[in-house]
Parts: sequence; C-alpha cells; structure tokens
Amino acid sequence: MDAGTPPMRRTVGQLTLVRMLWRSFFFLAATNYERMQNVGFAYCMQPALTRLYEGEALKQAMQRHLQFFNTHPYMANALLGATARLEEQVAEGRLQPEQVQSFKTCMMGPMAAIGDSFFFASLKPFAAALAIAGVLSGEAWAPLVFLLLYNLFHLSLRMYGLWAGYRMGERVFEKLYRIDLVQFSDRSHYLAGLCLGVGAGLLGREAMRSKATLGQGLEPLLFTALVLIFFQCIKRRMSLLGLLYGSCALCVVVILILNAAYPLL
Amino acid sequence: MDVGAFATDIGLVTVAGSALGLDRRAAFQVMVSQPIVVVPVLGLLLGNLQVAVWLGAVLQLLWMSSLLVGASVPPNETVASVAIGGMVLMFGRHVQPIDMPVLALAILIGAPLSHVGRWVDVSLDRANLHLADLADEAARAERPALLNRLPLIGLLRTFLATAMIVVPAVLAGLGLLAWLRPLLSGALLRSFEVIAVYFIPALGMAVSLSTVRRRRALLLAAVAFATVWFATWQMEMR
Repeated sequence: MDAGTPPMRRTVGQLTLVRMLWRSFFFLAATNYERMQNVGFAYCMQPALTRLYEGEALKQAMQRHLQFFNTHPYMANALLGATARLEEQVAEGRLQPEQVQSFKTCMMGPMAAIGDSFFFASLKPFAAALAIAGVLSGEAWAPLVFLLLYNLFHLSLRMYGLWAGYRMGERVFEKLYRIDLVQFSDRSHYLAGLCLGVGAGLLGREAMRSKATLGQGLEPLLFTALVLIFFQCIKRRMSLLGLLYGSCALCVVVILILNAAYPLL
Repeated sequence: MDVGAFATDIGLVTVAGSALGLDRRAAFQVMVSQPIVVVPVLGLLLGNLQVAVWLGAVLQLLWMSSLLVGASVPPNETVASVAIGGMVLMFGRHVQPIDMPVLALAILIGAPLSHVGRWVDVSLDRANLHLADLADEAARAERPALLNRLPLIGLLRTFLATAMIVVPAVLAGLGLLAWLRPLLSGALLRSFEVIAVYFIPALGMAVSLSTVRRRRALLLAAVAFATVWFATWQMEMR
C-alpha cells in the first residue's frame, strides 16, 4: 500500500450500487474519439470513489478511471461492479491501484465481444424481426413486444452484472461466460430467420392485395426474386443507398418503357 | 393550412424525435430509438398509428444491419426515421391523404439523412474530446460536481444536433413531397406504387436476412416464407 493512501472509510454499499446503476444509463453520453468511454466510466464510478476516498486519494482514483476505456455499454456494468469491489481492496491497502487499471484493460475487450455479438448482432435482429412479423400480420402493438423482449434481457443483465461484479470482483467474467450468451445468440439467429421468413411471406401477401398487383398470385414470386437479387448485391458489399436509388430508377425506367409498349399496363 | 397546428406538429416531431434519439447512443439504449418504435410514437402523437407502424417496420428492415459495434459509427437510422416519419405524417395531416407513392417518395428523400446523422455522430465524438479534458480538470481540482455535469452536456449536444437535422429535413422533405406527389400520374404513379410495395420492402428484407449469420437459419426463413405464401395462396383462391 502507498504511504499516501488513507485507510478505508467504508464499503461501497447497496445504495451506492443503485446510484451507479442509474448513472450507467448515461455511460455513453460523453463518448469521445480519444479515450472513448472514459468520462462515462469515471462518472459511473464516482459515487463509489467518493465513498471510499477523499483528498489526494480521491483525486488519484478519479484520474485512474479517466484512462482509455471502451466496451459494450450493457456489459460495462459487470466491470463497474467488479471495479468497485477492487477499489474497496485498494482503499483497504490489499491491492495496488495499477491492478485495477490492468483488470479493466484485460476485461473490456472480451466483454465487448460478448455484448456486441449477443445484444446487437443477435437479440436485436431477432426481437425486431418478431415485431416486424407482428406488425405485418396487423398487430399494431407489436413494437411493444420488441421493447419488452429486448429489455427483459438488457435490463436483467445490466442489474445482474453490476451486483455480480461487485460480489465476485475479478471472477465476474467467468460467471458471465458460464451463462453462455454465445449459445443464446446462436439460437436467436434461427428465430430471427424464422420471423423474417414469416415477414417476407406477409409482405408478399400485401403485394397480392395492393394496387400494384400482377395477377395470378405471382406477386410473391416477384418479391422473392427481388429479395434474392438484393441479397446477392448486399453480399457483394454494395451500398444500401446505391441499391435503393439504382433499383428504384431501374423500376421507373422499366415501367415507363413497358407502358409505352403496352399502354394497357 | 392551419399555421398553429403545423407549428405544433413540427414541434412535436422535433422534441419527441430528438428525445427518443438520445436513446440511440447517449442515454439508456433501451431501443426506443429504433425505427420500429420511434415512428409509431410519432404516429401516436400525430394521430396516424396505422401508417406509422407499417412505415416503422419497413424502415427497421432497411436499417437492420446498422449496428453500433465496437468503435464503428454506422449510419444514423434514428435521424432518418424521425425525418421520414415526420414528413409522411405531416403530409397526411396538412397536405393530402397518405398513399403508397408518398411513402416511397418520403423514403427516397429521407434515406440519405442516415449518413448526415453519421457525420454528426462523428462530429459529436470529436466535440466531446473537450469533455474528456474537462473531466481531467475535474479530477485534478477534486471537483466531482464538475464531472457530474459532463454527461448532461453530452446529452444536450446530442439532443440539439438531432433537432438541428430534423427541423430542416422535415420542412424541406415536406415541401418536396408536396411538390412531387401531384406530378406523379399514369405510369409514373404506378412505378412508385411498385417501388413502395415490392422494391423497398424487398431491399429491407434482403438487408435483414444479411444479418442472419447461420446458413440453416436462412433455410428456415425460406421454409417459413413458403408456408406463409402457400397458406395465403390457399385463402386467396377460396
């Protein structure tokens, strides 16, 4: 323990964790190019730091949480809880302050990978696809399903992460890894595929019932052909705006030509 | 046109859209900034939930792959959705009833705003470098109160930046819609119906399917599509 570090005044406590949880919802509010989420992390840690330190020790603690930090905003809560636990140990003199920083540096990458792949790349597309299928089948409240389903996982993990992190300290990553979010994300891709297939079918049905009908039930065929063409274009990394404007211009030209040749269209 | 009602509507779109836009990155991230939520909220406020829900679903399909992963800054689907939703719903209230060609035109007018939004996001990240410096100063001077204010400054900046895109975009887009829609007739009108019914939803569906990372999940999508198609065909034949 450094000679200048004062003895511990108290532990972080439940109320402080609640304050940290509230602040964690503004974790990305001051994201910047140079040190990414450093201000957000220090802002969230501040209730814990002011409980544990004062004077020069508080200044040093605030400064060490203003270093570069970048992770997934939901998974950050587990790191916030674990860091609060480690800061208690620093305040007690059982841990060197540098070890807190090296823990954060080691953990932010893996946590970001889990959070990005589960929440943004898997759960969000699945929940959105489910809501889209609901909307297309005429359920105006389907967007609420999206919010409920997504936030059931999101808010649970935020709260659990913070408290588990505080309870378990450095071992929180092992605990989160055991939940096996990777397997969940694997399954949610299948569910997203199912919902999107239903959504595509319902869009085909809408086309059959629209003014732009082709007759003889051929509308879903045209719709499928367009989806397949666009899908191949996207796989070849063509831009969304390029495809949008290019295909629409082509559609206008083709219909104008067809109309000139067959005025009955 | 009732100027008072028009001003109230643009105010509602701007305040609600910018407030919900905070959710995208600056605060909460509970996904109320996603097109499928933000456009129906605007629809509730402007009294046309039915059109707003459909539009929100199609915009969600189009921007399904816009993911805030790592340090990347993707196109800002929220700004584009608020602008598109705002111009469509206000067109329906102040100009003439909404039809499929209006929806197609609005999406074509508003889609590039997602890239304007991305540019603004990058600029905000640059502007926030100043907040990191202020945080250093707060730590050096042992002023936790100053640190507490910094996220609020970030929130205010994001809100104002979104509002500054939404107001001119909705006004200009509405003007364009009101000018272009009467010009559509005959085959041109038909082509915009086709764009709204086939092309834009199909592009959205393709974008969304490209986010599915498992080949067998795509097979499942094909089976689900065929089942719904067959069931629909059976019903239509009766």
